[in-house]
Amino acid sequence: MDMLLNRLKELTNNKYFQCIQCGTCGGSCPYGAYTPYTPRRMILAIRLGMVEDILNSNAQWLCTACQTCTSRCPSRIQITDGIIPALREKSLLEGKVPEELSTALINIMRYGNPFKESPMKRDGWAKELDFEVPTMMKKKSAEVLLLPECFGAYHRRCKQATKALAKVMKILEVDFAILGREERCTGDHVRLCGEFALFEDLMEKNMKVFRKYEFKYIVTHDAHAFNALKNFYGLNVLHHSQFLHDNLEKLKGMFNELDYTVTYHDSCYLGRKNGIYEEPREVIRSIPGVRFVEFKRNRENALCCGAGGGGIWLDSVMREFVKVRPAEDRVREAKEVGADVIVTGCVLDIPMFEDALKVTGLDGEIVVKDIAELVLEALEGG
Amino acid sequence: MILVFGEEFERDVTYELVALAKRLGDYKVVVSEDFDDIDGDVIRVERLNWKVVKELHDRFKPEGVLFANAPSGMDLAPKLAGITGIPMVTNVIKLENGDRFKATSLTYGGKVLVDLEVDKPSIFVVNRGYYDPNEGRGTPKVERLDLDFEDDVELIEVVKPEEDVDISKAEVVVSVGRGIGDESNIELAKELAELLNGVVAGSRPIIDQGWLPKSRQVGRSGKTVTGKVYIALGISGATEHVEGVKAKNVIAVNTDRDAPIFRIAKVGVVADVNELLPVLIEKLREIKS
Amino acid sequence: MRIGAIVRIVPDLVMGIEIEESEIVPFKYVPNERDEHALEEAVVFKEKTGGNLEVVGIVDDELRDDEAMEEALALAYAKGADSLKKIVLNRRTFDRREVARAIADHFKDYDVVMVGIQSIDSFAGYLGGILSGVLGYSYVGGVVGVDYDGGLIVQKELGGGVVGKFRVKTPAILGVVSAERPITFVPLVKLRQAMKEMKVEEIEVEVPDMGGIEVVRFYEPEKPEITLLEGDVEELADKLVEVFKSLSLV
Ligand SMILES: Cc1cc2nc3c(=O)[nH]c(=O)nc-3n(C[C@H](O)[C@H](O)[C@H](O)COP(=O)(O)OP(=O)(O)OC[C@H]3O[C@@H](n4cnc5c(N)ncnc54)[C@H](O)[C@@H]3O)c2cc1C
Ligand code: SF4
Ligand code: SF4
Repeated sequence: MDMLLNRLKELTNNKYFQCIQCGTCGGSCPYGAYTPYTPRRMILAIRLGMVEDILNSNAQWLCTACQTCTSRCPSRIQITDGIIPALREKSLLEGKVPEELSTALINIMRYGNPFKESPMKRDGWAKELDFEVPTMMKKKSAEVLLLPECFGAYHRRCKQATKALAKVMKILEVDFAILGREERCTGDHVRLCGEFALFEDLMEKNMKVFRKYEFKYIVTHDAHAFNALKNFYGLNVLHHSQFLHDNLEKLKGMFNELDYTVTYHDSCYLGRKNGIYEEPREVIRSIPGVRFVEFKRNRENALCCGAGGGGIWLDSVMREFVKVRPAEDRVREAKEVGADVIVTGCVLDIPMFEDALKVTGLDGEIVVKDIAELVLEALEGG
Repeated sequence: MILVFGEEFERDVTYELVALAKRLGDYKVVVSEDFDDIDGDVIRVERLNWKVVKELHDRFKPEGVLFANAPSGMDLAPKLAGITGIPMVTNVIKLENGDRFKATSLTYGGKVLVDLEVDKPSIFVVNRGYYDPNEGRGTPKVERLDLDFEDDVELIEVVKPEEDVDISKAEVVVSVGRGIGDESNIELAKELAELLNGVVAGSRPIIDQGWLPKSRQVGRSGKTVTGKVYIALGISGATEHVEGVKAKNVIAVNTDRDAPIFRIAKVGVVADVNELLPVLIEKLREIKS
Repeated sequence: MRIGAIVRIVPDLVMGIEIEESEIVPFKYVPNERDEHALEEAVVFKEKTGGNLEVVGIVDDELRDDEAMEEALALAYAKGADSLKKIVLNRRTFDRREVARAIADHFKDYDVVMVGIQSIDSFAGYLGGILSGVLGYSYVGGVVGVDYDGGLIVQKELGGGVVGKFRVKTPAILGVVSAERPITFVPLVKLRQAMKEMKVEEIEVEVPDMGGIEVVRFYEPEKPEITLLEGDVEELADKLVEVFKSLSLV
């Protein structure tokens, strides 16, 4: 209990007890209607010394770290980065971990990725390209370090987005390189799941690798990696939408027309967490022929895809409480506004939405594209 | 002389052991259940436990002892090796007799073969699916032996999963593995099965996750499919799974060119099953209508 | 109840292996997966019976300080093992008869010993079963659950999706296939703490030479002759339809 309270103090800057029990958090939460403990009730239970009740209910796992509650809390309490991970840490220490998550954590600890893939194969996606992507090990320095993160490196679908981004960089004649086999999980999900020691361990190992090489900045299309690198590693990092935006003048001259009605999904770790809203929109809008429509819930109010904070490994837990996953609601919203393409800014969104499209039967009508994939298509001519 | 111990809970593999024993020399087959079509000398005992195994081993002094890589063989073989100290080889896929035995074992998760020379007498635990069970069938000469020893292990109850379709007898089985990725994709497999007049089954992870009932599990701890076609969708082909695949034609779909399942396949399709299935289903529908 | 559990390390197939004619060269080792299940089941059984759990690592001399062995023992300690031992085999052997004889003296003080039913690198015996023969203990493999009602009740997979319940006399060795609950995750803080705090009694044993099995060569299985279809999905689907037709399925 002491450990939990210390962790809560540390992570919330001692503010967790300033909760005024207003209920804004639960009202904002995609799981608010299903969870036995909204953040408000969690804080109340902690105050009443009923932590075990929360943990036994599994409510601490019913959160995909979307930051909505945190961004709206009038007392500015760090719910997402504080209350929830602190409770999860206690859960981990007590050995109560949902099975899928447990497997992912074991794999990350052993292999530096959640997929139980060999670290030697981390550059496998690059080998699928018809040009060579140089590694830092060979090149020692480059202007841009492209970081695909685990999903971007191993996940079948996410790799497509990584390859698209690499192709765009090549077209732009950017001096870039990857870490390849030296790269490992940056650990944002690990942190949000309360496995703080593993997060620090990953950070330490990654920092050692980063320090070996010279680069101006990192570019990543994984919003969680972006968040970790920016706010925890303290590195110079651009989200790929920012990178594309920086190169927009050059890109505009090369764009071909595309015939799509596009909506853009604000990923939690770009938008609410890091305030990146306009760059991706401007990139999309500047592609000729593209009709841009907003989701009804957009920017600060965007609905979470459900992958964050380890959500990708919490599906079974979710299913126990929630009948309709947020991603399913989200793709239906896309349909409502008449989009035929959902453009995403975080690789994790892609499998979430593609799955949701299958579940909702909208897969014939709407496709999901990473912003780099859309840009590449415009460059290559539809 | 070769002594074969039949498999108590999975009778069919006994025929495969007999098929192998026939090639090795004289043999006797010990069984604890009625078999009326095993070729050769059959010793019928009341039950098969390590004491019976030890007794018969001492009595016949065989040059080689065969067990199946199956629930009772895996218990009895090492016990006999431990007691007698004679050499024991597991995961045997090929065995020849000579001055010494020449055995080949499939190990390291199916990634490595090892050729061995083994002194006599010795014990072999043989994988399923490498010898033709039909070669083990014929006319038995049965001798009953009244061997009954108390064992330190006693079966008190058999728990059967509730039965629905019997996948082991279905002519066409469409089976899904972890490669299908998402539970919702099971529907695609069901659709394919329906179009081919088959049934749906799965690998253990699929059953473990509750995506299909236990009765649909293929493999060592599931059922053995023996029909005409087995279609493996996103199944890697682990030994324990493949042991249960005895269909005459295996068609496998897998993204990984090196997936072990291709080793037993007649037709292998390197593709993402979730991309392939919708298209395939569409085409089959067209043909049907 | 004196419970023992055996943990071993094996080549990590995720990291890959090199297959040479005379040996297999691993890049890295990991705890043997079935042993991890055996350990988990032993922890469950300790919780059920309030018994004492001792976990015994078995490792070749050249790997005695391998981090995978450290990890395996630390995981055991973090999960609640009461004491730890490491039996170091003075020479490497693939023959489980030799291992069983080398370690047998150190397994005389348990009522139940759990061990993975097999390890991925085995081709000459199953350690648990052989050890039971050497010691004259009961043995059941294929174990998926263990209970205690004054005596041991063991659940074993019988194939065909059927599970058998067995009453087993102690002392017994149980070859575990999978624990009745998923492998619990041990957070890094706990693992590190365990590494710091754990005391491991090291025992060196001599491996007898029993001979009888000679490795001629290791090699990769041949890719069989199959029709491997590759290409775009449309094409593949057409070809499959043809295959179905040839089998008169459509
Ligand atoms: C004693 C014992 C008994 C066992 N009994 C059984 C048993 O009865 N039955 C059983 O099945 N297992 C059994 N197992 C488990 C077995 O060892 C394997 O773990 C299991 O069979 C693996 O299942 P899988 O092929 O579905 O999954 P995986 O091994 O994970 O394979 C998934 C495959 O799908 C491929 N793939 C991935 N994505 C795609 C895609 N999009 N499209 C196409 N392919 C894709 C991958 O390349 C991979 O080959 C047993 C194990 C033991 C030790
Ligand atoms: S929004 Fe903030 S202040 Fe209001 S109940 Fe939630 S945590 Fe407390
Ligand atoms: S971060 Fe999102 S999912 Fe988690 S509690 Fe807050 S609103 Fe709910």
